Amino acid sequence: MTPTISVAGLSRRYRGHTALDNISLTVEPDTVTGLLGRNGAGKTTLLRIITGLEFPTDGEVTVFGAVPAENEAVLRRMVFVREEQSYPDFRVGTAIRVASWFYPYWSAELAEQLIADFELPLSRRIGRLSRGMRSAVGIVIGLAARAELTLFDEPYAGLDAVARQLFYDRLLTDYAEHPRTIVLSTHLVDEVANLLEHVVMLDHGRVALDAPTDEIRGTAMTVSGPATAVEEFVAGGPVWHRQAVASRASVVVPGPFDAAAQARARALHLSLEPLSLQQLLVHASGGAAQEKVCA
Amino acid sequence: MRMKTLVNVARYHLVDRLMYVAVPWAILAFSFLINLAIAAMAPRQPGGMYTGGLVSIYVFLLICGVLSMTRELPFGLMLGVSRRSYYLGTALLVLALGVAYGLALTALQAVERATGGWGLSLHYFQVPWIMNGPWYQTWVTSFVLLVLFFLYGMWYGLVYRRWNLFGLLTFAAAQVLVALAVVTVVTLTHSWSAFGHFLTTVQAPALAGVLAALAIALGLGGFSTIRRVTI
Repeated sequence: MTPTISVAGLSRRYRGHTALDNISLTVEPDTVTGLLGRNGAGKTTLLRIITGLEFPTDGEVTVFGAVPAENEAVLRRMVFVREEQSYPDFRVGTAIRVASWFYPYWSAELAEQLIADFELPLSRRIGRLSRGMRSAVGIVIGLAARAELTLFDEPYAGLDAVARQLFYDRLLTDYAEHPRTIVLSTHLVDEVANLLEHVVMLDHGRVALDAPTDEIRGTAMTVSGPATAVEEFVAGGPVWHRQAVASRASVVVPGPFDAAAQARARALHLSLEPLSLQQLLVHASGGAAQEKVCA
Repeated sequence: MRMKTLVNVARYHLVDRLMYVAVPWAILAFSFLINLAIAAMAPRQPGGMYTGGLVSIYVFLLICGVLSMTRELPFGLMLGVSRRSYYLGTALLVLALGVAYGLALTALQAVERATGGWGLSLHYFQVPWIMNGPWYQTWVTSFVLLVLFFLYGMWYGLVYRRWNLFGLLTFAAAQVLVALAVVTVVTLTHSWSAFGHFLTTVQAPALAGVLAALAIALGLGGFSTIRRVTI
């Protein structure tokens, strides 16, 4: 099957600054992919090129097998919800109504439900909404469009934890009923960890990690307990990170552990814990720097 | 690119009826009433009173053109519309408004004539030389001028979106240089008398043709500018 998104050797250079440096990746149809990375890693630039809002310096991006820039047959099939989308001087209801004209699979029913969920005031001007409410307008459009490719770039700036949970719930429910390809760029990694089937991490414009979430889980473990026991357990093996408080220590080591290693840890009264996705990403992007700070 | 998309882009702009419909006519009405008041108070002149008040609606359409390509562009391009469709859809709106508003201006001119300049010999909707021929000529000339101003505003808006203030200043400076080049050529070829002859003898249809050619040039300029706009 043709990948929904295919990126090959893509670079985007601005004057004196490289936003994307020769990256290649694919996104398969009907998956939820997390696009992760620190500020300035190139996430937004990548999404802007995928949606044809920005042009590559080098390399090629295809979506549904065709170049997206100025290609309406492709553009019509995707929706892009941006962190700081600017709107004309519209009322909330007007913006949502206008969006409904453009998306072939628009669900008025879902839009209505989401408007109620987020308690959006339809007659208020978007310019007068709080930051969180503005984000909610984008989320309503992004989900109700039911576009075959749905891209969210930090869609919930200013949204509180309850509203974010609501977004995840609605996203998952609707995704289950109407499968589509979703790319979600975010900083709140642990919040979305359970949603993601695939993770792409960018670091300084390069792909630092590109793997199914299941494969990443358990690739590192935290071992903690009495310092002497911990040292005995990890002796000779690689250690990504060390932390010691009084006589207790905890170290991060590559996983997963086989049964023998697990038994050995139990015998030494050590506790084992897989690293969360967020912690893993911290290690993947300059974990060394982190280590120095902690040491 | 589909016709439905173009129509949707036009509808998208027209959502802001205040800006595209109410405000231009409110400004024109205000300007007209001021001129009417002046005409009522000023002593009658032989040949009646001419004003330049009609220009207000053209200037406001230029502003609409700028806003259609600046404030309204980011959300428009978020809706799965290509730059090409966005421009052409907006141009479609411009043509429709030009036809409708040109007709309205023509009707108002007819009323002005029928009432002897609103009973005050005021020539507000009649402009000597370019808009005082038969009604269809007035309609065509109004249409061409309305479209020309709107497209000109669109191009300005796009230049600003693409190259910011520096680009805007360069764009304006470039136009001054083009005008200067024309003046230089006319001077060097000793063509001023021919140029003056053209201006004094040109007929309304020919003038509308020249303006239409200019409008098309502005449209092509804007269209080529939007192709690489990023938001």
